[in-house]
Amino acid sequence: MKILLVEDEPALRSTLVEALRQGGYVVEVAADFRQAQERIKLYRYDCVLLDLTLPDGNGLDLLRTLKADNSLAGVLVISARDSLDDRVVGLDLGADDYLVKPFHISELNARLRAIIRRRRFQGQNHLIFRDLVVWPEQAEVLVHGEQLTLTRKEYDLLLYLLANPGRVLTKEAIAEHLCGDSVDAADSFDFIYTHLKNLRKKLQEKGAENYIRTMYGVGYKLSAE
Amino acid sequence: MKLLAATNRYYVLLSAGLFAVGSLVLYIGTDYAVRNEVGEQLHNHRLEVEARVASGRPLPEPLYRGQYSTSLRPRSLGFSDTVLLDPTEGSLVPHRQLTFRMVRPGQPPVWITLRKSLVEVDELLMAVVSSMLLVLGLLLGGVVWLHRYLSGRLWAPFQRTLATLRTYDLQQHQPLALPASRIEEFTELNQALTHLSSRLVADYENLREFTANAAHETQTPLAIMQAQLEQLLQLPALADDAAAAPLLADLYGATRRLSRLHQALGLLSRIENGQFTQAVPLDLASLLAEKAEQLAPLLEARGLALHLDLAPAPLRRLHPGLADSLLHNLLHNAIRHNVPGGDVAVRLTATALAVSNPGPVVSGDPSRFFERFRKHNAASESPGLGLSIVQHICAYYGFGLSYDFAPAGARHTLRVSFEPGAEG
Repeated sequence: MKILLVEDEPALRSTLVEALRQGGYVVEVAADFRQAQERIKLYRYDCVLLDLTLPDGNGLDLLRTLKADNSLAGVLVISARDSLDDRVVGLDLGADDYLVKPFHISELNARLRAIIRRRRFQGQNHLIFRDLVVWPEQAEVLVHGEQLTLTRKEYDLLLYLLANPGRVLTKEAIAEHLCGDSVDAADSFDFIYTHLKNLRKKLQEKGAENYIRTMYGVGYKLSAE
Repeated sequence: MKLLAATNRYYVLLSAGLFAVGSLVLYIGTDYAVRNEVGEQLHNHRLEVEARVASGRPLPEPLYRGQYSTSLRPRSLGFSDTVLLDPTEGSLVPHRQLTFRMVRPGQPPVWITLRKSLVEVDELLMAVVSSMLLVLGLLLGGVVWLHRYLSGRLWAPFQRTLATLRTYDLQQHQPLALPASRIEEFTELNQALTHLSSRLVADYENLREFTANAAHETQTPLAIMQAQLEQLLQLPALADDAAAAPLLADLYGATRRLSRLHQALGLLSRIENGQFTQAVPLDLASLLAEKAEQLAPLLEARGLALHLDLAPAPLRRLHPGLADSLLHNLLHNAIRHNVPGGDVAVRLTATALAVSNPGPVVSGDPSRFFERFRKHNAASESPGLGLSIVQHICAYYGFGLSYDFAPAGARHTLRVSFEPGAEG
């Protein structure tokens, strides 16, 4: 899966590139508007991560270019401008999703996966992780072929973990993913714990291995080994 | 005390002093003039009498004893004052008298006294004082009337300026536009105020821009910090030191708090800047249900029951982001300041939204709950901006916002009335 990252801030760019490569993506970068325009004209991408504030142009114009070219690439807008109007404009112009800086990389991963999944398979695909099979469109989870009944939040949590295999997920990231990013993580650590406990229990009852690891003082991780 | 009343007081004091002095001068002056005139008349009468005797005619018979008397015995000569009893009035009347000696041929000398009554002292005083009082009264009445007229007319520009100042709101980013006045002082005052307000507006504008820029510029380093910390947490080397990962996680949490704080401040400054002009019709009932669903894990974790009483309300034209923030902060506040096993009651009617929850009695002035960085508990991790955001959003849309505490059941209620004017 090939991704174009349009981001002018070098430190953030390199960190994101590293994280995305760890996630198994092929990543190309553009540091400014001109470079980005060149690349989207020349190459095909599965998804473009688009920063709106670029030194030599507005990211929204790149979005317009992509749409004018009938590009198949998904577009995830990332911007420091958390002006809600930008979000609306971005989505109106055909962006698939919008992330406000600063964001959790794990959240970026989850959004990215969802976009690519929708674009590539029109939803008709499934995720396989060890003895788990998840059909996101039907919100169906199978363990060893057996259906697993989860609450909405448990399901969201599982999907979030599956979007970030092998990554340490902080409590903040999980809380904000489940309750919206305006929720203060400090308020919500106990409910994360409860939901995780329930999820683990249900998985174990169906004979799944315990691959959700607790990282003491940090968060949780879906262990790939 | 009003300026005019204070001025009037001095006018009255001055007038009273002038009145006393004036009365004295008038009295002395009148008295002197009367005396002088009477003396002249007496002198003329003497000449008349002397001429009559010189022509050989006898002395006239006195018509009134008080005015003319003769005596063969010597009397002291010249002008003098005396007091005679007026038999008809029964009062003593002051008289001026002139006594002279007359020598007639072949007869013994005779002393003649001519008298003329002077004005009675009390009558004179009465006349003087009453006329002065009349003048004083007219003067004071005139002053009062003049001042009333002046305050109504001359001071009108001042009153207008005052009224404009009272309703002046810096948030509207407009300097005062005070008109020039016919009165120089008021024109100067208005100019000074207009100047002051334009400086205020400029300073406020600067501050606003500064806040907005500062907020924007902080976002990028925060994003870098957060991303890199998250990447650091992924390092396998962290497993070697049990203390390292929690340390990083704390740092990560702190970064998150910082960016949350900064987002809240940014939101506040953008509301103040009026940057949320876009509005779409929103169904608050479904938004509330959505929010409640989103916050369900929080409620659950704290064992709080949620009572939603959502009457079908008309669509309201709001900015979607602000509406979301308003509902979120109201609900979150009710969850945060709750008691274990408590509840959150949300009641939406056509005109108002009320969110209530039981909670410990809060000391302090309720109006201060809406201040920025106001914390119920100083150790709380929340920066205390939630209610301030609620207040700003309400002010932005002209909604009424009130806080109420019912001691029965210790319930706190925050109420947003969408049409505060219509409800009275």
